[in-house]
Amino acid sequence: MRKSTALGLALALVLLAAAGLKLRLDAIPRRTMPGSSVIFLPSGKFLRATTFGYSGFLADLLFVWTIQYYGNPQIPDKFQRFENIFSAIAELDPRWVDPYEVAALIAIYDARDVRLALRMFDLGAAKNPGMWIFPYQAGHYAQLYLKDYALAKAYYEKAMALPGAPPIAKRLFANAAYQTMDLRTAWETWSEIYETAEDPQIRKIASNHLYRVKAAADISLLRQALDRYRERYGRWPSDLERLAASGILSPIPKDMDGKDYAYDPASGGVKTAVIPWKR
Amino acid sequence: MTVKVIALNTFKEAVRDRILYLLLFFAALAIVLSRVLAVLTVGDRTKVVKDVGLASISFFGALMAILIGTGLVYKEIEKRTIFTLLAKPIRRHEFLLGKYFGLVLTLAVMTAAMSLIFLLLVFAHTLTVEVRLLVPVFFIFLELCLLTAVAILFSSFSTPILSSLFALSFYLIGHFSWSLETLLKRTRPGAGRAALRVVYTLLPDLENFNVKTEAVHGLPIPASLFLYAPAYGLVYTAFVLLLAVLVFRRRDFV
Repeated sequence: MRKSTALGLALALVLLAAAGLKLRLDAIPRRTMPGSSVIFLPSGKFLRATTFGYSGFLADLLFVWTIQYYGNPQIPDKFQRFENIFSAIAELDPRWVDPYEVAALIAIYDARDVRLALRMFDLGAAKNPGMWIFPYQAGHYAQLYLKDYALAKAYYEKAMALPGAPPIAKRLFANAAYQTMDLRTAWETWSEIYETAEDPQIRKIASNHLYRVKAAADISLLRQALDRYRERYGRWPSDLERLAASGILSPIPKDMDGKDYAYDPASGGVKTAVIPWKR
Repeated sequence: MTVKVIALNTFKEAVRDRILYLLLFFAALAIVLSRVLAVLTVGDRTKVVKDVGLASISFFGALMAILIGTGLVYKEIEKRTIFTLLAKPIRRHEFLLGKYFGLVLTLAVMTAAMSLIFLLLVFAHTLTVEVRLLVPVFFIFLELCLLTAVAILFSSFSTPILSSLFALSFYLIGHFSWSLETLLKRTRPGAGRAALRVVYTLLPDLENFNVKTEAVHGLPIPASLFLYAPAYGLVYTAFVLLLAVLVFRRRDFV
């Protein structure tokens, strides 16, 4: 009994000594190269071939490591291998949506590179051609951060054609079409939304957009006619009836509610008499 | 009847093996610790819990099949208890099949235990009993049945260490052989490609039992897989067991 107690004590002492040594070792300052481990990351295709059936689990580990890696502000040039890292995760678990979205968020807010974020969504869309979320999100990013409505329109068009896409994808597409002055597409899409919507609120929104699209087309027409009037007479017409009387544009278009557009004879400017959202 | 008696005895022997409980403990620990990994991730945490849980069941199940299976027959030979057994009216294939089914029974119990812990953890996250997650577990069990047969085959003529290495190699090859298809696509038509196709077709393809990704992402699993994957497992297992019986019958214990 005494012998076993002594042994137990000895064991505890050795363990304590090891713990003490560990703490001492931790206190020794060591030079580290933040983020150096990333150079050992093989390409995604090679990585997948060596997962032996545990690709999902390895994707989890790599993703968790990636979050810590990009959360470390001390790592220089951490975006140099950004696409390599996230494409490796995509190869391991192509169906996992979170890494693509997180990659895009890091690309936007940390790397400040919208094109990089879009490439992440493109990667997600390439790996999951049936998922609407990637072109939909890419459309948002193109619209919000690049103000590139033509690109946003192309993304929304892809998204709305995919199964399960939310109805808002079509509305965003129609709006992007309006912003690129593709008024015919905008009119057709908003008309379709107006005719098929069951929610009165959505119908109201679609109606306001239709008003805006028609107004844009009419105002463009009116401006061209006013410019021609000024070329001919050297001044703006005193009112729109005079423009009609000149034979340049007749009849004068009215807005969707049958009201006249507001005309300023001093500047030749034309605008809607009401704000479309307050009709 | 003889097979059943040997199987039950093998089961009783296997459940007394400490290594089994050690592996079960580590499997349970890995499943429970998936919670920690889930906390570190961004987005869907349940996905991580499911991935780690299924990977743990598969990995530790394979270790159980290999480490216990490779010692089963060898131990009987080493301890010379096989002389007593074979002196009785027991045929050699009955002995081998008894050993096999005994270990399969042990693995079934262990897989059930691991699955229970896994489902409880998933329930703690989602508050739903995701019975669907038992589908990949069923496929993992099919893989373990095949791996057990392989372990018994090597155990019938080699030492446990070598048998473990061979069985582990079989496991790795089984999960790597699908990549031969990529090589096939890049090989020019001819004798080389034909030979490669034969190798590709004959090598075990354990990826046929891997539906973990589909289950975790809630993707549909093709109905034909439920028919052909178990059939493939059954036929391959029968082949390996037959090979083991042939090898075992040729062994001279005197």
